[in-house]
Amino acid sequence: MHRVPPALTRLALILALLAVWELATRLTSVNVILIAPPSIVLWEIVRVFAGLSVPDFYLNAGITLAEIAVAYAIAAVFGVLMGIAVASSKVIGDAFEPILLVLYAIPKIILYPVIVLMIGTGYASKISFGILVGIFVIIFNTAAGLRQVEPNYVRLAHSLGYGKGKIFFKVELPAAAQTILSGLRLGFGYTIIGVITGELLVVNVGLGFLIDWASVNYHTAQLYAVVLITLAIGVVANLVVSRLERRWVR
Amino acid sequence: MAIIEVTGVSKTYHDQSSGRAVRTLDNVSISAPENDFLILLGPSGCGKSTLLNIIAGLTSFDDDGGRVLVQGKPVTGPNPKLMAYMFQDPVLYPWRTVLKNVEFGLEAQGISKDERRERALKYLRLVGLEEFAHAYPRQLSGGMAQRVAICRSLALETDIVLMDEPFAALDEQSRILIGDELVSIWRQVRRTIVFVTHSLTEAVYLGQRIALFSARPGRIKLEIANPLPRPRSIGTAEFNQMVDTLWTQLKAESLASIKREPAEQEKILLPKE
Ligand SMILES: Nc1ncnc2c1ncn2[C@@H]1O[C@H](COP(=O)(O)OP(=O)(O)O)[C@@H](O)[C@H]1O
Ligand SMILES: [Mg+2]
Repeated sequence: MHRVPPALTRLALILALLAVWELATRLTSVNVILIAPPSIVLWEIVRVFAGLSVPDFYLNAGITLAEIAVAYAIAAVFGVLMGIAVASSKVIGDAFEPILLVLYAIPKIILYPVIVLMIGTGYASKISFGILVGIFVIIFNTAAGLRQVEPNYVRLAHSLGYGKGKIFFKVELPAAAQTILSGLRLGFGYTIIGVITGELLVVNVGLGFLIDWASVNYHTAQLYAVVLITLAIGVVANLVVSRLERRWVR
Repeated sequence: MAIIEVTGVSKTYHDQSSGRAVRTLDNVSISAPENDFLILLGPSGCGKSTLLNIIAGLTSFDDDGGRVLVQGKPVTGPNPKLMAYMFQDPVLYPWRTVLKNVEFGLEAQGISKDERRERALKYLRLVGLEEFAHAYPRQLSGGMAQRVAICRSLALETDIVLMDEPFAALDEQSRILIGDELVSIWRQVRRTIVFVTHSLTEAVYLGQRIALFSARPGRIKLEIANPLPRPRSIGTAEFNQMVDTLWTQLKAESLASIKREPAEQEKILLPKE
């Protein structure tokens, strides 16, 4: 017997769901304001990309993507650096790790009003929130990866005459790469969540703005379309990062 | 002149948690002439690894007049141009191919890419692993991994090779086979080998000279030459006689080290006066 590939099963499930959804909205008298059928949503997505549906789609999507890119670049660089600092110096680790753990544990959203008060309602506050949501998993994975390096890996390099710096780059970093990269992948997803959440909380531009605009105006089809597009961005981004991760870790 | 000269070296470990001082080596003197295959044999915990690490420059020793000279110069730290050190575990980096693992020690010395590759392949060929040059460590068996580690040590082409129970984790057959390989390499490319083991058979099978440790604090109790002709075979009358001689000496030490363990535990359990 042949095994059905999981991708096929997945596709079938999604198609079945869409069919049920379509039929449910067509055959019952539920108002289209509440649930838009997939066929209309699909058509709406096409209209969105054609620039006929929501206001300034490309501008708003571009803003969101740029915010995500900036937030992630900062979260990745500083997250890895802070993870290295925490793992390599006992003084720094002991001093900052408890603080980081508390920040990690609390729902970041309660800090958003503080951020907005401090740096305003512009891009910077959304980027900052994206960083705040995304950076911790990067810090902790980097630190954990470096701490878990087999002590013999380091002893061997030492016995072969490698100095501290070279041991770090040639042994500790590659040994921790897998854990660090999965932190970077998770952090990417969290950064996207942070940026979009920020846009939905203080609405002025971006995909979050479009979602809010469609929602408050009862443009249900547009709402679904933009939500799906946002989801797709997240899925594609995650796919790209996973690919990179798999290519680096062999 | 001896290539390795250890004179009156002691080592005391200070246990940080209990504050106790443990004297591990007590006034140890030993030397190895060039091209020696010297075995350090003794019960577990007698300080064999500690002595090897001291010779390798990986561990410090008590500052009470002891001296470690290698090629006439005091040892101050790891010196991979002079001494290769081999661990009990293969310690191969999983992200590097077999070839790249063997080259790792040479990279530290800034040796050119071509020469690194050439030397690494030469030793992989010697242990029959040339075709695995581009494999990753996870694809190797325990014995193969250990042979790669041997290659990494030998590729440094140092005058001295220090090995700490390098075959302890292998099954008996692999041990004998890799031991044969090591001896044949040692006879082809003369090196001074210092080889730590707690196995009597391994000591007699491989060693040119055997230094027997006493139980802790470790001292050299006996140094004997091993005149058995090579290739040796395990289980011949001469072989067994050699093992017996060593065992007679070692027995007392092993008993001493076994007896002390429960006594030490009691000491820890007793409440403080
Ligand atoms: N880093 C260390 N700190 C404290 N004690 C140690 C340390 N290394 C070894 N020892 C002690 O020294 C003794 C000898 O250890 P070792 O040289 O490893 O013996 P062997 O290799 O002969 O089994 C052991 O009893 C161990 O408890
Ligand atoms: Mg040992």
